[in-house]
Amino acid sequence: MPTARRNAGVNLFLSRLLRLVAVLLAVTAASFAMISLLPGDLVTNMLGANATQADREAARQDLHLDDAVPVRYARWLGNAVQGDLGISYRTRQPVAEALGQRLGVTLELVLLSQLIALAFAIPMAIFGALRPGSILDRILSGVQLAMLATPGYLVAITLMAVFAVKLGWFDTTGFTHLTDDPLGNLKSLLLPSIALALEQVALYARILRTDLVATFDQDYIWYARAKGQPTKRIVLNHALRPSSIGLVTITGVSLGRMIGGTVLVEFIFALPGLGRFTIDAINNRDFMALQGSVVVLTVGFVVINFLVDILLGVIDPRIRAGGAK
Amino acid sequence: MGSRSVRPSRSRGPLRRLAGLTLAVAFVAACGGNDPSAATTPTTVPGTGGSTGDTTQVTDAPVLTNAPTTTDPTLNPVKGGTLVVGIEGESTGYNPTVDPWANGGHNVAKAIFDPLATYDGTGKVVPYLAESIEGNADATVWTITLRAGITFHNGEPLNAAAVQTNFAAVQASAAYKDQLALLASMKVVDDLTLELTMSKPWGTFPNVLVGNIGNQVGYMAAPAMLASPDGGRSPIGTGPFKFAEWVPDDHLTVERNDAYWQTPAYLDKITFKPIPDSTSRKAAFDAGDIDVYYTGSSSELQDYLAKQTSGDVNVTIGAPSEPDMVMMNTLKPPLDDVRVRRALAMSVDIPRLYDYLDATGVKQPMHGPYADNSYWYTAGNYPDYDVAGAKALIDEYVAEKGPVEFDFAGNQDPFITSYQQLFQSMWAEIGVTANIVSRAQGENINAVVAGDYQVILWGGVGGGDPDSDYQDFHSGTGLNFSGFNTPAMDAALDAGRALSDPEARKAQYAIVQQELGDAVPYIWTGTNQFGVVTKATVHGMADYKLADGTPGQPVTGGQFFLKDVWIQQ
Repeated sequence: MPTARRNAGVNLFLSRLLRLVAVLLAVTAASFAMISLLPGDLVTNMLGANATQADREAARQDLHLDDAVPVRYARWLGNAVQGDLGISYRTRQPVAEALGQRLGVTLELVLLSQLIALAFAIPMAIFGALRPGSILDRILSGVQLAMLATPGYLVAITLMAVFAVKLGWFDTTGFTHLTDDPLGNLKSLLLPSIALALEQVALYARILRTDLVATFDQDYIWYARAKGQPTKRIVLNHALRPSSIGLVTITGVSLGRMIGGTVLVEFIFALPGLGRFTIDAINNRDFMALQGSVVVLTVGFVVINFLVDILLGVIDPRIRAGGAK
Repeated sequence: MGSRSVRPSRSRGPLRRLAGLTLAVAFVAACGGNDPSAATTPTTVPGTGGSTGDTTQVTDAPVLTNAPTTTDPTLNPVKGGTLVVGIEGESTGYNPTVDPWANGGHNVAKAIFDPLATYDGTGKVVPYLAESIEGNADATVWTITLRAGITFHNGEPLNAAAVQTNFAAVQASAAYKDQLALLASMKVVDDLTLELTMSKPWGTFPNVLVGNIGNQVGYMAAPAMLASPDGGRSPIGTGPFKFAEWVPDDHLTVERNDAYWQTPAYLDKITFKPIPDSTSRKAAFDAGDIDVYYTGSSSELQDYLAKQTSGDVNVTIGAPSEPDMVMMNTLKPPLDDVRVRRALAMSVDIPRLYDYLDATGVKQPMHGPYADNSYWYTAGNYPDYDVAGAKALIDEYVAEKGPVEFDFAGNQDPFITSYQQLFQSMWAEIGVTANIVSRAQGENINAVVAGDYQVILWGGVGGGDPDSDYQDFHSGTGLNFSGFNTPAMDAALDAGRALSDPEARKAQYAIVQQELGDAVPYIWTGTNQFGVVTKATVHGMADYKLADGTPGQPVTGGQFFLKDVWIQQ
C-alpha cells in the first residue's frame, strides 16, 4: 500500500534522524570529556615553554578553560546548534572553514580508494569462489593475505618510490583540486588511494568469496546450472546480489571508519585532509578543532550507515520489511 | 673562510625547544664531510666591540663545506618563474610576535618580512632594515635608526612608531615577551629613530633582532596586521615577496614585491608546500615535484654533494645548528647524583652513535655546549669515554643507594627509538637500566616544562653565542629544564650578557663551561649542520646579498633567503 510504505519510510527517516542527534550528543560529549582527561595542556602548546605561569593562567581564563567540562561543553553545543563551530585555538582559523577545506580531500580519497578496492575485490572473490580450493583460489588467498599483512606505510612509500619518483607518472605529494585540473587531481590521489585500498581489497574479497561459496551451494544455483545457464549469468544474475550483504555492510563500516582513518596516508602524501586536521587537533589539545572534526566524522558515519541500510533493503527486501516493522 | 655559524640571540622560544626534539629526529643528520679537514678549520676571532654586530659575533667553523658556493658567473640571473619549496611542517600562523616557527615558518617569514638585523657573510650581526643599531657605553641605551623610504606591503611606512608597535606586541606576547625582558622603555626620537632603554646592561641586544628559531623580535610586521585578530593569517611585511594565499597543510603562496626597497626579487612566485614526512619530502624533491629541499641528514647531504659534482643539483651548506644532546633532570633521583650523570656520559660510545647515524668523520664530538672549534669553547671537566670508570661510579652509587633505573624519553619516530636503544645498551653495560619512553613531541615538551621527566633526547641548548643559552642555564628564568645551576654560573651568565668585549665575555662563559663540565647535566653527542639542495636550474641560493651588495649569510641552520634566487629558463 503506497501510503503505508510512505509512512514507513518517513518513520524510518525520523528514527534515523533522532538516532543521529543522540549519537552526535553522545560522541561530542565523550570527545570533550576525553580530551580534557588527556595529559598535556592546550595553553602550554599554544604559548610554548617560555610563557610564565601568570601568562598561562591568563590564557586559561580567556579561553574559559577553568570552567567545568560540562559548562564548556554546553557553551560549545549552544554555539554549534547555531552553526558556529568556533575558531581553532591554535591556528585562529574558523573551524567550519578548515573543515570545508579538508573534507572534500578526504571524501574524494576515501571514495576513490573504495572504488579501487571493490574493483579488485569483486573479481578476485568470484574467481576464488567458482573453484574453492583450486590453485587459483589458493594463489588469490595468498595474495590477499600478503595485502593484509603489508603495513600501509610500506605500501605508500613503495608506491611513491616506484610510480612517482622512478617513473614520474604521479605526484609524490600534495593535492590538486578536481575543478582546477581533473587529470592532476587523479594524479595526486591515485597512489594514496591505492595505498588505502590494498588492505580493503583483501578484506572485501575474503568476505565476498565466503558468501559466494555458500550461495553457489544453494539449490536454486544448482537448478540454474542444471538448466545450462552460463557461469557468467549465474554469477551476475543469481549469486552476486544475495552474496553481497556482508560486503555492503563491511564496506559501509569501512567507509565511515576511513573518513577519520586516512591520517597515515594523508601524512605521507602531504594531503590536506581531515585525518591530519584531527590528529593535529588531538596532539595540540585544540578541542574546538577536534569537536568540529568529531561532528563531521560522526555525521559521516551515521549517514553512511543509513545509506547502507537502505542499500541492504534494496538487495534483500526481507531486510527492508524487517526494518519497517 | 667558509660559511659560519652565528647563533641567534639570547632568547630561545618554545619552537627552539620543540626544534630540539625535532632535532632528535633530524639529527639523522649533520654529516657530510667531503672535506674532513674542514673539521679543523680555525675559528675567526669576533669583533672587538662598538656598534652593531661587533659586540656579539660568533663563528663556529662548519664541518661540511661545499665549494663553489656561488653561482657560475657566466650565468645571468633572469626574472620569472615559480619556485616550489618543500617545508617540514605547517605553522599556526604568520604573526612574528605570536606564532612560533620552526625552520619552515622562518623560511616563509624571510620571504615576507625583513628583519631589523641579519648576518653578514662573515657571520657578524649587521643592520638590515635598520640603518644603524648603536649602543651607549654601558649598553643600557640602544638607538635604532631606520632606513628611509621603506614601506610595508599595505603601504604603511616603516618608521620608529611601527618598530615600537612591533616591540610592544612582543612585550604583550606570552610566548615571546621574555625576548625583550630587559627592555624597560621606548622613545620615538624622530620618524626614523627609536631609543630603547634597558633595565640592565645588554651588550648582546643586536643579536635579538635577527630572525631565527625562537627569536622573532627582529621581523617587522605592518602595524595594521598586528592590530588584526587574525593578522597572522594574512601576513604583511616589508619583504621581497607579498603574501598571496594560504591553504593550511596544502600550500602558501607569495608573489614578488615589485616595490621592494632593494632590487626586486627575480622569482614571480614562491609556493611553500608543507610535507611533514621527511621521506616523502625527499622523494618529492628527487621526483622534481619541489625545487628546494633542506636537510640535516648527514648521509643525504653527502649524497647530494656527490650529485652536485655531476651538475644534477646545487647544494648550499649552512652554518652549524644546535648540537645533539641528552638532557638529565638533576632534580630527580637517581639523576640528582653527579656520579650517575657522569657515569652515563662516560659510557656513551660516540663513534658507535655516529656509525649508526652514518655521520662518521662529519659530526664532531663535543665536550660542552660549544663545539671544540668554536671561538667560545674552553676545555672544562667534561668526562671522556671510560666504561670501566663509569661502572665504578655506578657500583659506588648502587652500594649506597640501590639500583640505577630511569625513564629515557624520546619521540615516536622508530629511528629515534632505535637510537635510544643504542644508549640503552651502552648504559646496560655499566649496570644501569634505562626504560625507553616514546611520546609525541608535545607530550615530551609538556613533561619537560613540568619537570616530569628523568632523561630525554633534547636540543636547542648550546652552539653559537653563549648568551643564547642564558635561560637554559640561569636559575632565575624558570626555563632551566635540567634543574642545574650554581651561583657562580648565574653570575657569569649575567656578566656575559652585560659585557661587549668578546674576550671578556669568553672568560665569563669559561666559568659556565667549567661548572657544566663538573656537574654534567647534559650529555653532548655532536654537532649538526643543514644544507639546502635545489634543482640544477635553480641558482642564487648562495648569493644572498645585503642591501649594500656585500654577501650575507645565505643559510643558517635550516633557514635561507630567497630574494636572490632565480630559475634558469
